[in-house]
Order: sequence, then C-alpha cells, then structure tokens
Amino acid sequence: MNKETEAVYDYQVPLITGNQTFSSITDRISSITESKTTKEWLLLFGLASSLMLLLFGSIGYLVWEGTGIWGLNNPVGWGWAIVNFVFWVGIGHAGTLISAVLFLFRQKWRTSINRFAEAMTLFAVICALVFPGIHVGRIWVVYYFFPIPNQMDMWPNFRSPLLWDFFAVGTYFTVSLLFWYTGLIPDLATLRDRAKTKIRKVLFGIFSLGWRGGNKQWKHYELAYLLLAGLSTPLVLSVHSVVSTDFATSVIPGWHTTIFPPYFVAGAIFSGFAMVMTLALIARRVYHLEHIITMTHLENMNKIIMVTGMMVGYSYSMEFFIAWYSGNPYEAYAFINRAFGEYAWAYWIMISCNVIIPQIFWSRRLRRSIPVMFIASITVNIGMWFERFVIIVTSLSRDFLPSSWDYYSPTFWDVSLLIGSFGLFFTLFLLFIRHLPMVAMSEVKGVLPQANPHHGHNGHEGESK
Amino acid sequence: MKEMQKNNGKEYWRSLDQIADTPEFRSFLEREFPENASEMTNPVTRRNFLGLMGASIAFAGLVSCRKPVQKIVPYVKAPEDMIPGIPKYYASTATLGSHAYGVLVESHGGRPTKIEGNEKHPSSLGKTNAFLQAEVLNVYDPDRAKSVSNEGTDAQWSDFVAFWKEKHSQFTESRGEGLAVISGEFSSPTLHRLYETFKSVFPKASWVIDEPVSYKNVYQGLETATGKRVRAKHHFDKAKVVLSIDNDFLGLEQESITGNKGFAKGRKVETEKDEMNRLYIVESSFSVTGSMSDHRKRLSQNQIERFVRQIASALGVLTNASENVVDPAWVNALVKDLKKNPGKSIVVAGHRQTAATHSIVFAINESLSNNGNTVTYHSDPYLVHDGDSIADVIKNASKLDTVIVLGSNPVYNSTAGQNFGEAYKKIKNRITLSLYKDETAALSTWHIHQAHFLESWGDAVAVDGTISTIQPLIQPLYNGKTNTEVLNLITSAEDKDCHDILNETWQDILKTKTLAKNWRRILHDGVHAENKSLITVKADGQAINNLVKSSDISATSLSKDNLEIVFYPSAKTYDGRYVNNGWLQEAPDPVTKISWDNAALISPKTAEELGVKTRDLVFINVGGKELEIVAHVLPGQADYVISLEVGMGRKDYGRIADGAGFNVNTLKPSDSFSVTGARITPTGRTYVLANTQDHSSMENRPLIREATLEEYKKDPEFAPNMVKHPPLKSLWEEYPYTEGYQWGMAIDLNTCSGCNACVIACQSENNVPIVGKEQVEKGREMHWMRMDRYFSGDLDNPEMVYQPVACQHCENAPCEQVCPVQATLHDKEGLNVMTYNRCVGTRYCSNNCPYKVRRFNFFNYTKDYPETIKMVQNPDVTVRFRGVMEKCTYCTQRIQAAKIGAKNEGRTLVDGEVVTACQQACPADAIVFGNINDPESKVTKVKQQNRNYAMLGELNVKPRTTYLAKLRNPNPEIVKQTETVS
Repeated sequence: MNKETEAVYDYQVPLITGNQTFSSITDRISSITESKTTKEWLLLFGLASSLMLLLFGSIGYLVWEGTGIWGLNNPVGWGWAIVNFVFWVGIGHAGTLISAVLFLFRQKWRTSINRFAEAMTLFAVICALVFPGIHVGRIWVVYYFFPIPNQMDMWPNFRSPLLWDFFAVGTYFTVSLLFWYTGLIPDLATLRDRAKTKIRKVLFGIFSLGWRGGNKQWKHYELAYLLLAGLSTPLVLSVHSVVSTDFATSVIPGWHTTIFPPYFVAGAIFSGFAMVMTLALIARRVYHLEHIITMTHLENMNKIIMVTGMMVGYSYSMEFFIAWYSGNPYEAYAFINRAFGEYAWAYWIMISCNVIIPQIFWSRRLRRSIPVMFIASITVNIGMWFERFVIIVTSLSRDFLPSSWDYYSPTFWDVSLLIGSFGLFFTLFLLFIRHLPMVAMSEVKGVLPQANPHHGHNGHEGESK
Repeated sequence: MKEMQKNNGKEYWRSLDQIADTPEFRSFLEREFPENASEMTNPVTRRNFLGLMGASIAFAGLVSCRKPVQKIVPYVKAPEDMIPGIPKYYASTATLGSHAYGVLVESHGGRPTKIEGNEKHPSSLGKTNAFLQAEVLNVYDPDRAKSVSNEGTDAQWSDFVAFWKEKHSQFTESRGEGLAVISGEFSSPTLHRLYETFKSVFPKASWVIDEPVSYKNVYQGLETATGKRVRAKHHFDKAKVVLSIDNDFLGLEQESITGNKGFAKGRKVETEKDEMNRLYIVESSFSVTGSMSDHRKRLSQNQIERFVRQIASALGVLTNASENVVDPAWVNALVKDLKKNPGKSIVVAGHRQTAATHSIVFAINESLSNNGNTVTYHSDPYLVHDGDSIADVIKNASKLDTVIVLGSNPVYNSTAGQNFGEAYKKIKNRITLSLYKDETAALSTWHIHQAHFLESWGDAVAVDGTISTIQPLIQPLYNGKTNTEVLNLITSAEDKDCHDILNETWQDILKTKTLAKNWRRILHDGVHAENKSLITVKADGQAINNLVKSSDISATSLSKDNLEIVFYPSAKTYDGRYVNNGWLQEAPDPVTKISWDNAALISPKTAEELGVKTRDLVFINVGGKELEIVAHVLPGQADYVISLEVGMGRKDYGRIADGAGFNVNTLKPSDSFSVTGARITPTGRTYVLANTQDHSSMENRPLIREATLEEYKKDPEFAPNMVKHPPLKSLWEEYPYTEGYQWGMAIDLNTCSGCNACVIACQSENNVPIVGKEQVEKGREMHWMRMDRYFSGDLDNPEMVYQPVACQHCENAPCEQVCPVQATLHDKEGLNVMTYNRCVGTRYCSNNCPYKVRRFNFFNYTKDYPETIKMVQNPDVTVRFRGVMEKCTYCTQRIQAAKIGAKNEGRTLVDGEVVTACQQACPADAIVFGNINDPESKVTKVKQQNRNYAMLGELNVKPRTTYLAKLRNPNPEIVKQTETVS
C-alpha cells in the first residue's frame, strides 16, 4: 500500500508483503465491501451496466428480427456469436485452473488471486452461455436441446458435439459455482461477524451456512474443498476439449483436426490467465492490494502466459505441418488461405498477439513491468479472440466448393453483442468486488508467515513457500 | 343517354332499364356491388337466396370442365371429378414473340401453380425453359394493372367499349386514316384473322411491329433465300457437326428447348465406344451454348458477319472471296469437318445477324445437304413479323388520331435517337393493352389491363406449323382483357367473348360449324396435330447474291477508343417483359452469375486497357448518347466488345422491377443489335453487384471432371480414378439401405448446358422464396438447386463449365451427425429429410455440409407475401418460417404422391413414375432420378456408366447424387494446329 515497500520486491520475498497480520488481512479485504460506495465504482458500474443494456437490447432486436441482422451468409453459418462463445469459455478456464489445479499442486501463490479468478470464470461462462442460446434461428424452441422425456419419444442427438458442448459447459459452470461458493464460506462468515447492518447480518448469515470456524468444520471443509478441486481438474481439460470437438468432428478443412482438444485447452488457459492479469492489475491498483497480489504473483502468471502462448504457437505451426504432410489438398488450401487469403489480416493479428508479443516475457525486467504486462495481457485476449475468428470464419468462408465461397463481414449487431457481453461481464464483476471478498482471506492467512508452525517472531524468516 | 341519341337519332324509351343500361349507371352498379350482385338489389327472399345458391353450385360444376364460364364462385358442393389435394393438368400454350411453347399447367383447386412442357407440342416436347417455369408467378403478380384506366383514373371496360364504338364508326368512314396499331411479332390463326380483318376494314391504318428481340432478320433472310415465307426448324439431334454463328440455341434463342433436347441427344455418350457431336461457335460474349462448344472463337459482331462470308467462300457458296477474319487453317478444318458430314451437319445463325447472313446460312445448309435433313422449312401463313415503320409513326405523330399498342411497350423499347415517348405524347388518343402499368401505359390516355395467358383463350403456331391452343386455367384475376378481345373490338366494334372469337377461327380451321368433339380433343392435347406444313424450298442464288451485295460490310478495326456494343436478350427479363418476375430476377445470370442487375460485360484485356474493374460505374458514350452502367469483367468476352443486356432499369413499373439494373435501350440502334464507335470512361464510383458466385476457378479440385472424347476412349475410367484416397471407413455402423425404394440421382455434365430451367423449376415446385438484392449480395440466396459455373484455361479465351448442385442426399450425411436435435435425418429410402418443425436453427448442419447446399431462413422471407403470391405456392410443400434450415428434398412430395397412387392400386412404383421438378424441366434430359435399388431402372443404368463419379466421394459421405463426367470433342486437326502454335 505504500510506496516505500514497492521498491523492495524480490523473488525471494514472501508471498504476502507489507508485514501483514491476520487482522490486517481481514480489515483490508473486508473493508472494501463495507465502506461507502466510491465514485469510481459508480462510474465504472454505470458504464458497464449501460453496455449490458446494449447487450439486452441487441438480443431483443435479434429475437424480434432474426439472425439475419448479423453478417452471416450461406457458407459462413457461424460468425461472431460463436467466436464470442468460444472466447468467453476460454477465458472461463483460468479460474478453475488456478483454484483447482494449482491447489492440487500446492502452488500457494495462487491464494491471492484464486477468488476473483474463480468469479471471473463464472461470469465469463455466463457470458459464454448467452451466445449459444441466442445464436439459434428459433430461440423459442431452444428447449429441444434438453433431453426432456416426451410423448413423441424425441430425444436430442447424442452424436452431435453441440449437445456435448451443452453438457460440458453446463457441468463446468455448476462445479465452478460450487467450488467458488465452498471457498467463500469461511470468508462469508467473517463478513457476517463483522456485519453492522441487519441485512448484511441476515444475508451473510444465511450464506455462510452456520460457519463457526471450528476445528471439525475446518477438517470437513478442507476435505470437501480437496474433493471439489479433484472434480474440477478434469473439467478444466474437458470443457474446452469438448468445445473444440464442435470443430474437430466436422468435415470442414481447417476444422477437421485432431490437434484441436489440447490446442484449445492451451489457448483457453492462455487467454484465461491474460484476463485474470488484466483484472488483477486493475483491482490491485484501485483497491491498493499491492501487498496481497504481489509482483511474484504477477511474474508467475506471466510465465504461464508465455508458456501457454508458446504451446499455442506450436499448435499453429503443427497445423500447417499436418496440412502439408497429410497431402490433403483441401486442408493445405485452407491453411494457405488463412495466412495469405482474404482474412490474412486476422491471421497475422492472431500470430502477433499470441505468439510474438508473449515472447517479451523472456526478459525479467519486462516480466515485472506493470504497464508492459497490462498491455500484453490485453493484446493476448485480442489475439485469442482473433484465433477463434480465424478458425471459425476463414475455414467456413472457403471450404470444398469454390462456387459457394463468400466473404463474411460483421454488422453493427455483431459488434454490439460482443461489446455488450463485456458489459455483462464487468457488471457482474463490479458487483462481485463491491459485495464479496475478492481475495480469499482465509486462504491468504494460511500462507502468511504467521500461519507457519515454524514461524518465529518478527525478523525470523519462516518457511512460506 | 347521350349515346342512344347518337346511334339511332330519335329514340324512345322502351323501359327504365334501358336508360339504366348506360355506362355511367352500370359503372355505378359495379362499383357499389360486385358484378352480378345486382340481382340482390331485389328484396332478398329465402326463395331467391336459394336460387342463387343453386346457381353457384351449377357454376362451380362448370369451372371444373374448363368451359368458358364467367363467374368465380367457391365450391359449395364439390364437383364430381375434383378431388381436393389432387392436382389437375391442362394443356395450354405460352408465347414468346412469334414462338409458341406448348405447356401443361398444374392446377390445384382451380389455381395454376406449376408449368411443365407439353410432350405433344413440337417446340417444348415436354420440357420447359426458365421463362416458362416463371410464367406462373406472373399471373399472380400483385403489381399487375388491375383495371382499365382513362387519363390516369380508374375506368370500366364498358367505358372503353363505348369510347371505341364511337371511334370505330369514325375510322370505318375514314378507312383507318390516322389510326395505327403497334404490336409484337405473332403467329396465331385468330390474331392473324383479326389482323387481316383490320387491314381490310382500315386499309389506310398502319400496323407497326415492335419486338425488341426481333426475329425479323431471320424471317427476311429466309424469305429472300427461298422466295417463300417460311420458318426453319432445326433438328440438332440429327447433326454430327454444329456450327453456331452467334446463335445461343441452348440459352436465349427461341428454339432453346428443342435446341437443348436435340443437341443433348447428339451429345449423349453411354460408353467409350460411342460417338458424339461437335460444336463450333463464334460469338461476341460467352453464352451457355459457348460453354458447351468444342471450339469457340471470340469475334465482334462485325467480324462475325465477315466470318460468315469467309466460310461461305471456303465452302464455295459465295464466289467473292472476302478477307480472312479467322485463321484460314481453323476455317479449313471446320469446313472439312462440315463437308465430311453432308446432311448430318447444321449451321445456325442467331437473331442478331443480318438478313444477308441468314440467307447465306440457308445457302450453306443447302450446299451441305442439310436442308430437309437437319433443317426443315415450314410455311406459316399466320406469321406477322414485319409491318410499317415505327419511324413513320414518330414522324407523323401529330397527324395521328389514335394509336393502339397491343401488349408491346414501345416507349421503353424506344431506341437511340428515336424518342418514341415524346412523339407518342403528341398522338391524340393513345390506347395501350398491357399486363403492367408500364412506360407506355403511363403515357397513354386509355390503358387496358391485359389478361395473362393462363387467363386467356387463344391459339398460336409453332415453328413447324403445328397450331396449339391457349386455354385459361383461371378466371382473369383482375378481369383483364386479351389482345384477341381487344383486337376484335377494334376491328368490329363488338365486345365479344374471347372464346367465341376463337370459335370463329377454329370453325374455319376444322371446317365444321360444331366444334364439339374434335375441339375437346384439341383442347385436351393442346395441339392440332394434323396441321404440319413441311415444304421443300430451294435457294435462289441470285436473290442471295443481290442481298449480300447490297448489305456489303467493311471491316472496322476496334480499339479501346472504338468499342463495339452488342445487345443481348436478358436471361432474367428476355426483352423486359419478365422484369417484374422475382424468380427470374433473382436467378443468377447463367454466365455472369449476377442477380438483380445487368452490367456492361468487358473482356479482361479490354478492361485492363481501359482501367476498368468489375463493379466500377462507367460512362458509355456512343453516337452522342451516354449511359452510366456498372462494368463486369467477363473472361471469354471478345476484346473491344461491350455486351449489354436489355430489359432492365425500370422506374415505376413494379416492386421487383424498380431499381434493378440499367436501361440500355437508349444506346441501341433501331435496326441492329450492335453499334461501333463507343467509348468507355470510368466514373470513379463503384456499384454494388449481387453476384452469387464470387469465385470462378475450380482451384484444380476434381469437382467437375472433364476429358476429351479421345482421352476418354483411352482411359474410360478417368472420372472415378481422378481421385485417389485411402480405404473409406465410417465411424458409425452404417445402415444397409438394401430394401425397398432407394432414391438416387445422376446428372450428366456432358449434356447439361447450364440454362437455369431446373433452378426456376425447383423454385416453383418447392416454394423457394426470393430474398432481394441486398440479401443475395450478403450470400443468402435460397435456391435449392444452384448452377455452379467455373472457368478453366486461358483467361482471355477460357472454357466454361456448369454443374447443377443440390442436396446430394449423402448416405453418410455430415449434416445429420451434427444436428443437436435430430431435425435432419435419413429415412429408410435414403432420403436426407428435414423436419422443419424440429429445427432450432443452429446452422451447424450447413457449416458441416461439404457441398454447401443447405439454405437458412435468416429472416421471415414469406411474411409479407401479398395474397396473390400466396396463391402460387405449391400446397404440397410447406412454406418455411424464419430460423429454419431447408434444402433440396428430391421432391419428396412427388415421391409420396406417386407412392400413394401406387399403393392405392396395390402395386409397386414403376421406373420413371417419380420425376423431380428439376428433372422434369431439364430440356437436355441431363438429370435422371429413380430407384437405385432396382437394377433395371434408368438411374441405375446411368450410374453404372464409367463416367459416373461422386463429387467429394473421398469424404466417405456417399452422396446419392452422382455426376457423369463432361466430355469435349475437339477436332483433332485444330488441336494439332494449336499444339504446333504453342
């Protein structure tokens, strides 16, 4: 929180800096939800909710007029709506990955960022789920997707990857929600205990499920958390793998590729971390959390961004290799067309943002520079949006028969839905950071030096990593 | 009252009714109440109510027998032979200028919904072209003129009758002084009889023929050459070598249906041992006929005319050897080929060519013994193709009292320098009969709304003299009048029923006073078969020579500053008459693939020199006139030749026509289809063209497989062997499809000319909506059957190939696997069926379709259909709502109807009983459909041919539609020539 401490960040410093105590952590985090609403928050909330209204307005118009308001045409049956869907699902990866996978691997640095990464996941998945719902032609019969027993014995088609998608994303959302909520319980109890108004007392009282912080409770809680983490981990891998089968199981050159599942998962982690980074940097600055989300956290995340960026880059090159190696002329054409065809601009935006820019993190100085990582995290997400655009649109616009090739360009409504979805996302996120503890207090306390049984007193270094 | 006084001097009232029977009173009655409702002015008693009901039933009965009844009354009790849901077919005849096409019209509950060819008619032989298919939409066009109008206000037919009675007596006295009639070309016994009567009643009146796509030159050339008034019928089926001189006989020439049918017959190849015909063509811009050619030369119109003389000299028909327009070696090879096949070759020239050219072509055919073999000549006493000059009408406009325009549109057709519109306005009484309130109607004092041919009685003569009848399928929707009725009124001042007028003619033709039985049979068949008029004609060498000499031509060297403009009939509007037809407007032009527009076609080389690109707006200047039009670069176009499509660019015509394309008539000379001395300057602006196919190269993909006949003979299995792929395994357990009917289709690319008939036929049969230019530009056209067109070879002089593509009904359909709600599935007969009710509209199926044949309803395209357009919908096919996917069903409704019929009779279907709409329309018989599980069926046999291949079969989708590879049959001598040159 103070300038003098900022200068002494070092790789060797503990996870949480500024000589925090249990109570200072509690104060720091809880006070954000308890203090008066700030002007900045109101301003941001106003902006975000206006954009959210744009989303709802656009959806209303879409339902009224039909999907023709988008730029879709005959070869390109999926456009920005599905690009946005895959983009948001991808972003929704980081939360559970940070919470569950890093938890299982005992990466304790995760504690400062896991709470809002999880929240981000939930909100991203909500944004994602908007799109498959509204992109259909007849939204009023969208319930045909559900396996509802009916007198006609009509079932959805279990061979269709779109149905797998529906289950995969649905499951992921449910488990992520449970996981996030379970993690929140001790902190909700803290808020309840600190509550000064009746409403807060009642609401936090209900949602903290009678948590008292007893030894038994902690024992059960930690086991449940571990189990949920174990349950979530395969989901992190499965959800985007399944999303990728929408494309991989099709026959369209540029989609019909076995590399898609791991490639999509890597891309999802990549974009998810970038989004966590963007948000963390803002929250850290606005709410003065520099001691809790330290440079070490940021640097670790940058490393992951760089690694996953290279995995994605490897996939890009491998696609080209296979296109050549397979000897399939259609596939070869699809990839040459990606890089040098009508949509080459999109392809090269993608390559620049996803493969070239993350390479700057080889430099320790840049890896630890807040402005650099902020810009890089945004460009990564731009790049990842374009990756989905490139995959979906360029492949469809030029497939097997040249006679049906056509160019796709978005309309106002394509753009308004994308912007509107950000509005929805930020609205939810702002509500979250205003009303719930955005850092997992109980977990951060666990990684404080004081929590270590071998921790000495002031001045004595404890084992914190 | 005024009238009575005039006619009979002093007049006494016999009754009040008689006074009441004035036009004013009648019109009051008719406006107040529907016609015939006047009985109801009596106090309604139960008794006369029942009486009326009884009459209704009686009338209803009459409707079904196609008797000329006057009233449309809904069925109260169904007539005996009318089964709801079972359509009936009636023979009639459609005309296009002087040509007649026999048609069979499908009628659902008294409304015509679909047109097919009449097998008994020699010009259609059971087949149709795109125009005929689209005619049914014109009947229901809500933009048609709906009432008589006088000086712009609605009037009654009786008003006009009264008006004309007065005029008639005036003109009878003056013997027609100051009277002129303007009509199109026609050949019809009844119209001809009235025409003769007109000439005798009004000998001083003039009769002008205004036909933008005129066959005058053809008829005149033949008349000069033979000394007789004859029409030529071409038997392409008997020809081994065809030379087409700018004749688009597979596309837009009037013989296109028989042209396609005959040519396809001569081109049909079943095994590598078969022979096929060879087509040479010289033309200015690419036509569908050019796409079928084995050798094609791009020549300007000027060069074509000289080429004809070159080849005539080479054949020894003309002695005055002219210069060589085309490489003499090429011409010699062609001449040798022609001479090798005496009586088995055919030379045809297009309607754009001069009369001199047509007379030379006659002589050439005679010298090759083709006359009487591949070309037969028929006298046609009913043909009227020539009349007084329109220039005289313009010159004497202020002296003219009355001009009557019969179904033609001279104001719009007015060519460069004529300005007919201005002259027309000077004429005192301007009477127009037309389907639409067109440009001429807008300037007329009287406009009479015409009845569509499906609402009319009439007759017409085919090229071989066969007379066919036109009978109405429906009461005129807006009580329009036919040109027969109007012409009869004009000549006789009697307002007679069309059927009665027709009767008078046919009493002469059949030489009987009672038409009864014979007439019923003729109406049933649609043709009067006994009337063939084959005659033998001989060339009059002297006359031909004189004509050739008198129309001597000098070479014009074209350059970018001296361009030639060629005017060609439109595949959308013909000469402008179909301009308000949405099906035709939206159907992409067969060559350019432009929908909803016309453009100036320019060759790539000329475009480069001029600095013009596709979609640039340019100014064309010629003869002091200027036209702003969009340019379109078309490979295969002759250099320095600009082709302009006529018939577009209308204002205040109708909701389809308005704003589509450019009116090019302002540049067109009045007596020719081409003009030189044109210049092009870019405007610097661009224009949006809705082109359904942006990409014209096949990218070396084996989609359309093609070889020369020689290569085919060497390697008969070239088509299936063109793609090598690993063994195909399915992920799923495959359904065997071995029992019952298994539907399949084969399309012979060697005979398909790309004429678009199937596209419109499918649209008509399957209620495919039109979506408008903006949506087509976005790539959302809905055609279930599309015609893919690719170019190959040299950019300047490429070959063009066509491939009709509709749903391939893959057994292993990729669309079915991805649909999340099972809205698209296979039935046991191998049909890929769509359940519209179940479709959610994810568009996943369309994405995963390798052929991209699925069509999505992005909007509710059918929501704003006017009531009349709803009537043209096929009741057997669901009209689709927004948000659902649709595609070709193999005409499942026709399969079902046939199956039900067979089941009722306790038998199985016979091969050929189920005919899809595209197959039925296809004049080349390129599409074969049937049960592939029946080893004896035609489709099975065709699929066993060695040219059969499955497009994208390597994807293991197992398409039920397969293609027969295309063949070309180039002259080995010319092939050798080009090889040595290159």
